[in-house]
Amino acid sequence: MSVRPHDVPIVGAQETVLAGERVLLLPERALLWPAQDTLLIADTHWGKAATFRAAAIPVPGESVHDDLTRLDGALSRSGATRLVVLGDLLHARAGRDPAMLAEVAEWRARHLDLAWWLVRGNHDRGAGDPPAVWGVRVLDEPASFGPFALAHHPTPSEGAYTLAGHLHPAVLLAGSGRQRLRLPCFWLGARLAVLPAFGAFTGAAGIAPAADDRVFAVVEDGIVEISHHGR
Amino acid sequence: MVAEPAPRHASGSVGAPDPLAPAIAWFTRRGWEPFAFQREVWRAYLDGECGLIHAATGSGKTHAAWFGPLLEWLAEGPRPGDRPATAPPLRVLWITPLRALAADTEAALRAPLVDLGLPWTLDRRTGDSSAGTRARQRDRLPTALVTTPESLTLLLTRADAAQLFSHLRAVVVDEWHELLGSKRGVQTELALARLRRWCPDLRVWALSATLGNLDEALDTLLGTHPAPARLVRGAVPRPLRIEALIPSRIDRFPWAGHLGLTMLPQVLAAIESGRSTLVFTNTRAQSEQWYAAILEACPGWEGTIALHHASLDRATREAAEEGLRSGTLRCVVCTSSLDLGVDFSPVDTVIQVGSPKGVARLLQRAGRSGHQPGAESRVLCAPTHAFELVEVAAVRAALAGGAIEPRPAVRRPLDVLVQHLVTVALGGGFSAAAVDGVPAGELYAEVRDARAYADLAPAEWGWALDFVARGGEVLRAYPEYARVAARDGRYTVADATVARRHRLSIGTIVDEASLRVQYLRGPLLGQIEEGFIARLRPGDRFVLGGKTLEFVRVREMTAWVRRARTPGGVIPRWSGGRLPLSDLLAGAMRTILDRARAGRYESPELAAVRPILELQSRWSAIPAAGELLIEQVATREGFHLFVYPFEGRLVHAGLAALLAYRLSQRQPATFTLAVNDYGFELLSSTPPRLEEALAAGVLRPGDLAVDIPASLNAAELARRQFREIARIAGLVFTGYPGNRKTARQVQASSGLLYDVFARYDPDNPLLEQARREVLERQLERERLGRALLRLSEARLVLRSPERPTPFAFPLLVERLRETVSSERLADRVARMGLALERAADGRRR
Repeated sequence: MSVRPHDVPIVGAQETVLAGERVLLLPERALLWPAQDTLLIADTHWGKAATFRAAAIPVPGESVHDDLTRLDGALSRSGATRLVVLGDLLHARAGRDPAMLAEVAEWRARHLDLAWWLVRGNHDRGAGDPPAVWGVRVLDEPASFGPFALAHHPTPSEGAYTLAGHLHPAVLLAGSGRQRLRLPCFWLGARLAVLPAFGAFTGAAGIAPAADDRVFAVVEDGIVEISHHGR
Repeated sequence: MVAEPAPRHASGSVGAPDPLAPAIAWFTRRGWEPFAFQREVWRAYLDGECGLIHAATGSGKTHAAWFGPLLEWLAEGPRPGDRPATAPPLRVLWITPLRALAADTEAALRAPLVDLGLPWTLDRRTGDSSAGTRARQRDRLPTALVTTPESLTLLLTRADAAQLFSHLRAVVVDEWHELLGSKRGVQTELALARLRRWCPDLRVWALSATLGNLDEALDTLLGTHPAPARLVRGAVPRPLRIEALIPSRIDRFPWAGHLGLTMLPQVLAAIESGRSTLVFTNTRAQSEQWYAAILEACPGWEGTIALHHASLDRATREAAEEGLRSGTLRCVVCTSSLDLGVDFSPVDTVIQVGSPKGVARLLQRAGRSGHQPGAESRVLCAPTHAFELVEVAAVRAALAGGAIEPRPAVRRPLDVLVQHLVTVALGGGFSAAAVDGVPAGELYAEVRDARAYADLAPAEWGWALDFVARGGEVLRAYPEYARVAARDGRYTVADATVARRHRLSIGTIVDEASLRVQYLRGPLLGQIEEGFIARLRPGDRFVLGGKTLEFVRVREMTAWVRRARTPGGVIPRWSGGRLPLSDLLAGAMRTILDRARAGRYESPELAAVRPILELQSRWSAIPAAGELLIEQVATREGFHLFVYPFEGRLVHAGLAALLAYRLSQRQPATFTLAVNDYGFELLSSTPPRLEEALAAGVLRPGDLAVDIPASLNAAELARRQFREIARIAGLVFTGYPGNRKTARQVQASSGLLYDVFARYDPDNPLLEQARREVLERQLERERLGRALLRLSEARLVLRSPERPTPFAFPLLVERLRETVSSERLADRVARMGLALERAADGRRR
């Protein structure tokens, strides 16, 4: 695996500082911490479509293939050597579809050097830990990692800056003439940051940021900071 | 009092008694005489005919349909082996569109049963039926059953369904006009097709208000099954007088807005002078507002006025209905929730707030007042803005011309078919055997007996069957999926969870996803659409049923609230309720404006609105019948293009999007759209080169089939339309009632599902159906095509007034806005103000 020099800019990414550390927000809906070559994502919800089918609701496809392709892109563009999933890796026990599990295992076999961590989320508790063959180190929240607390639920931690998921945040934009757009976003506050949901079959919920919060929307293959007034 | 059941012996011999005699005797004892149309229906019924009876409310349609089966029973007499101790099995089904009507209907049907001493049982079964009633009906259905389409479909899911209905003689569909034109109507058609197969001699009768397409209404009722049938016109309606309450000063009267309370004093005076008044509004929000305003103006009326709309709790609604019947209420403010049902005799005044939007609707509402013999019906219209005065005049003109709107039936909705297949699989299953190469051919033939599916192609049938059995082509790789499975040559449902979920979702053809609203420690208040609740934060206040409530939290499909300490709050804007001006009325309005242009202000309403129309004429123009008026105005906001086809809001939405799309094909631009019933507005930041574009034919029909979907951000609209389809086809499950068990892991928004299907199963016919429904329902494609033809022949009148005109003003305040853009999304984001909207919701996931 080629490690990318830290000073080469990543197209479409947005640089910012969290807890004194330089981080990059990637349009793949991932956060990169270059100092640790760590890529963080949240809420993949793999197996969700299979969960529906198991309940006799005919939902086609499995987004895991698209998700893995996007993940490949983010990994190769960033040169990260560690992947952290901030919870809800798997959707439900009923969705542990053998084909999906095998596809991820196959992907894992192509990324043997990658360290892969999972911070358990509420769905992971129901779905169970990932198969051993995926080689995932499973942690409970909050997991301390440098100045950061890795978590699924967006709860502030004492003495650390929390990186979390769970909310599937999205911003609703209104332009002049009442144009409206809904975009997944990174929501960065004073004590914690919430990542957008990574999985394609996840949906999103609008957020209500405070005045000091910063919001970065994922717009196609770029990241755009959204100015707001804490309405 | 029990009358001796009449003739027992076969008729036909000389001197045989008239088979209608018991009915006539019953009428006579009440001091009535049967109408000719009632005798006609009774005879036709006894001769084995089906039919449709159309007349105004309260004109005796119920007795016309009900006595046929009763007379038949009396004529047949008891058969050998009849045990008088046991009531006969189910013979008559009475289908009513609203469960709220079931109680009234049952009471009306019971009186003759008792008087004639029939050994029949009569009961009702709706979503409101108690567990006790259900248990009683589990073993044995009554001789006559009053029910709704949903509850009938639920009965069809019982494994012994064929047995249950094996003695059925007649089905009466009440208020058929209300079901026709909706998917519930299609659900009814499918149920009738099923029943006809079990009982080939079944007689089906419908009661309907007068419609513009009665023949289609009858055909849809009968299905493709050949049967002798007739249309029967009921009692001739009383003359209807339509009057507008005229504002005292038109210059102070608003030009726009639909909640306006300006006419409150006149409305109060009308209520005061009447004995009992129904105030009809067009939306639930409007009814809440008027109720609050009336109470505020006349606090002494508290307790004698009530509110009635579909979101209120059943007990509250029933109390209001009872108050109307007994005459104890001075006034009820209501919505279309009181459009249907038996008349309220004490009601002597009907007030329509805002435009009724259609002739049929106003007739229906007028019919709810009492029926003093020989009296004419009278409706007072209270306009909420100036142009509604013109609409009132248009309604009167259209009515004088004898015209009334049609209600076209729905064709081939695949979501309802998918639901029906699971219903039949549960209700005893169906044969998988192919007939003429079509799989499950027996059921295919039965389904095609319903008009809605008469043209269902074998390929579509095959798809629907495959979809319920294997999830369709794309799910073939997932053997874990199974909703309906073939076993020993029959399709059935094996899984109990699937069965339960299906039964729970049958009712969802009507229901928008709504949450119950309940006091933390106290009773249920009603229901509100999820979309509104989602926007609330704990502590926010809103108004329901005239009460100001404070939102606490959502749990278990219920919004928990407490009484707010201070009054005032947001009135929910429920979805729906904004009907477009009917085609008929739109035409009448154009005619009236044409006359006004020529200086002919021929009614009190037109005389009142004359100063405003003259202002319009001075600043710009009033279009003549063969003209299309377009105004171009520049303001700080940008460049406005106002176009006034007077074709109703849905057609305008389509026209606006089409014009915006065609203009943006010529020069990249983003337009903001606004529409109302009179016209539409395109707003852009750069001036559109209109003359050039018009010369190039942007308003010609062209290739609508291509341009409309391209223009409308059709994917987004279809995505929204998919919500209903996904619910009916069983893709979205909103949870179990009472909600111990939430089904959270299999809940997804229909929008998300639409995206998933579009990505992995783009040819799924349900997506195609969503696109088609957008065109037909939301845009009235046919009407749009006709409008474009008319406009392409119209003479264009281009004006550039200095400021927005009276016609333009309502569009400026119109809330509904949409965007059509040929720019890249990212460019658009960069150009937008990027003001962050308050979060729509902060719900956990």
